[in-house]
Amino acid sequence: MAEEILRLENINYSYIDGGYERQILKDLSYTFEKGKFYTILGPSGSGKTTLLSIIAGLDTAKSGEIFFEGKNIKEIGLHKYRRNAISIVFQQYNLISYLTAVENVLLAMSETDNELPKDRRNVAYNLLERFGIVRSKADRMVNQLSGGEQQRVAIARSLASNVDLIFADEPTGNLDTATEREIISIFKELSQEFGKTIIVVTHSNTVSEMSDLRVLLKDGKLNEL
Amino acid sequence: MNFINRAFKNVTRRLSKTILLVLTFFLIGNLVIIGLGVSSAAESAKILTRKKMRAVVTYMVDYDKVYRYVESLTDEDEINKFYENYPRVKVEDVAGFLTDPRVRIANAVSSNMWYSDAEGSLDFVHLGNSREQNMDENAGQSCYYDENNVMQCETYKEPYFFIKSNMFPGMIEFEDGGYEITEGRFYNQEEITNAESVCLISVNLAATNGVGVGDTITLATGNDSSYMRRQGVTPEDYNCQFQIIGIYDHHNPLLPDASNWDYASPYENPDNMIFIPTTAVFKAMLPVQQKTFDYYAAQNPEDEYYSNEENRPSMENMERSMYMENVTLLLDDPLNVEQFVEDYSNSISQFTSLDANNDEFNRLSKPLDTLSMYANFIVWLVVINAIVIITLVTALTLKTREYEIGVLLSVGASKIKVIAQFFVELALVAIIGFTLSVISGSLIAKKIGNTVLEAQIATSDVANEEDFGYEYIDIWNTDYSTEISLDDLISEYEVRISPLIIAEIYVLGLGIVLISVIIPSFMIMRYNPKKILMNQN
Repeated sequence: MAEEILRLENINYSYIDGGYERQILKDLSYTFEKGKFYTILGPSGSGKTTLLSIIAGLDTAKSGEIFFEGKNIKEIGLHKYRRNAISIVFQQYNLISYLTAVENVLLAMSETDNELPKDRRNVAYNLLERFGIVRSKADRMVNQLSGGEQQRVAIARSLASNVDLIFADEPTGNLDTATEREIISIFKELSQEFGKTIIVVTHSNTVSEMSDLRVLLKDGKLNEL
Repeated sequence: MNFINRAFKNVTRRLSKTILLVLTFFLIGNLVIIGLGVSSAAESAKILTRKKMRAVVTYMVDYDKVYRYVESLTDEDEINKFYENYPRVKVEDVAGFLTDPRVRIANAVSSNMWYSDAEGSLDFVHLGNSREQNMDENAGQSCYYDENNVMQCETYKEPYFFIKSNMFPGMIEFEDGGYEITEGRFYNQEEITNAESVCLISVNLAATNGVGVGDTITLATGNDSSYMRRQGVTPEDYNCQFQIIGIYDHHNPLLPDASNWDYASPYENPDNMIFIPTTAVFKAMLPVQQKTFDYYAAQNPEDEYYSNEENRPSMENMERSMYMENVTLLLDDPLNVEQFVEDYSNSISQFTSLDANNDEFNRLSKPLDTLSMYANFIVWLVVINAIVIITLVTALTLKTREYEIGVLLSVGASKIKVIAQFFVELALVAIIGFTLSVISGSLIAKKIGNTVLEAQIATSDVANEEDFGYEYIDIWNTDYSTEISLDDLISEYEVRISPLIIAEIYVLGLGIVLISVIIPSFMIMRYNPKKILMNQN
């Protein structure tokens, strides 16, 4: 068995909806391994995004523990965990509009405590170039780029902080099929060539078919397909 | 890409928002500059005028306090006893003030008019007016009714010399250039203590009589009259000799157009003023005073006052005989006057008071005080409004920047850094706005400052004391406070934007920004990145 990167133990999550408690995650336990590309599938309202926000440290479960490389993320600290252990790619790209593409990448570099090369700006340009954003485009404001280009910038930013675990929430939801394939290829390349663990929440069969492991969230639990 | 860098990029790349905020700060800055400029000009005008005024404090018997105390007494004996020991300014109190390093001079001045001896050995400096001509014609007559109720008249002799004496060394007159010693020196403490017969005379009096430092002159504390003769007073009693130790000149010219010029007496000519220690004056007058006392004691053997040997004039009871009702203290700095009065107000004798001679100054400063008060009020009103407006703008901006905050939090930026970025953004904009307002505000403040002062003076009931157009020869004046007018104060009023005001504006601006960020900061602290980002998705 490959080395574990993220272990979920008995995660429970519920919220009150119309006076009734709605249980989203029920004693959910699962282990994600290093260097694999996961897709989490599930019907709408099954709690995929909630699960992603919990394992990304943006929210906390009602009960249960999450271990990153064997350490409880509560002990690491959610803020530090987000800064140094993971990065997230969103459906809406979530780039900062008054910064250029390269500055958005540099933003992630400036916040992390991870060891990074000294010549950060060049590294950022190289990262963007690797994902098809040439230098002339890297210096443009992000709202002057296409959706696919913006998502590439978002992926480049997720890699910039030199983390091993990347989450993505419907990363291709706003893209056409051709671009969707390109983006997923990038994710695949990241897991295969760079040993990154990719966990993507998606509805898309195209995406899930290209992943190493497809995991279904149903009735509050994760099951491999 | 730290938060300062991000703040800078936000400010420079979101120009429309930045321009609107700069404009807001620019307007705020202008109003604050006008307020501070006017307030500071009003305060400076007061300080500069106060500095020009003589730093004098008057130590005096407080008649209001005396009156109130006597009014409170019901027993007649008690009232009489109080009057027997009527409050006075004591030499020892003044000596106490002189140990204060702020006190330079104490003027405990008394005045007398003296004569030359019968031979006229010391001539006075002539005025050349009509009274002098009358005197030459022996037209001056002094008349009285004798014991048989018969009118007796004899030629009236005008005193020639004005004797100005002080109980302490140095005099205010010689401190501010009004009088200056051209030769010799002023009398010292030793000469005062020993009642040495020394004097200072004017350059013109010295020239008229061909005398100088080291020479001796003869003065007469009285003159030959039937009144004096009746008391047994002889020329030996009132003639006295003084050694000249100093020659002075003065910038107190005669005013031939003064309204009392024609009737001015020789002693009213400033050239005929002689400065002598108070103790020496008293010693010179003592023989006549003792003979007068003895005469009345003989005439009124039953009188309790004259029966009491303690009441007989002597050098020992000089202070009692030479009643001092006020002493003027000259301090080192006009700005120390009020503090000095405050420091001693509680420790001085019961029926005395210290007066900073500020009443007229305070009355005339009223329009400036009102102006300063309104200007400060406007500054604070603008600052409070600015805080409310900027807080509101920042809070509303937060709503539109939630997504950006979510992104920053998701990449691990701390909430403190997000708040710091907002602060730096506002501070940068404020600095630009205030810098522009310093340039325009200094021009506007000058114009507005002068207009509001004119309006304030027009609506206030303060006016210069009416000038009756009379000029007096006033050698009696012991009021050493400087007369000021509203024009003096206004002439010092100039709205200037000093470096201090500029510094104040930036400090206030940063204060506004800091306070304006507080409420939005609480909002940021409550932000949940999951809610922002996942809702967006």
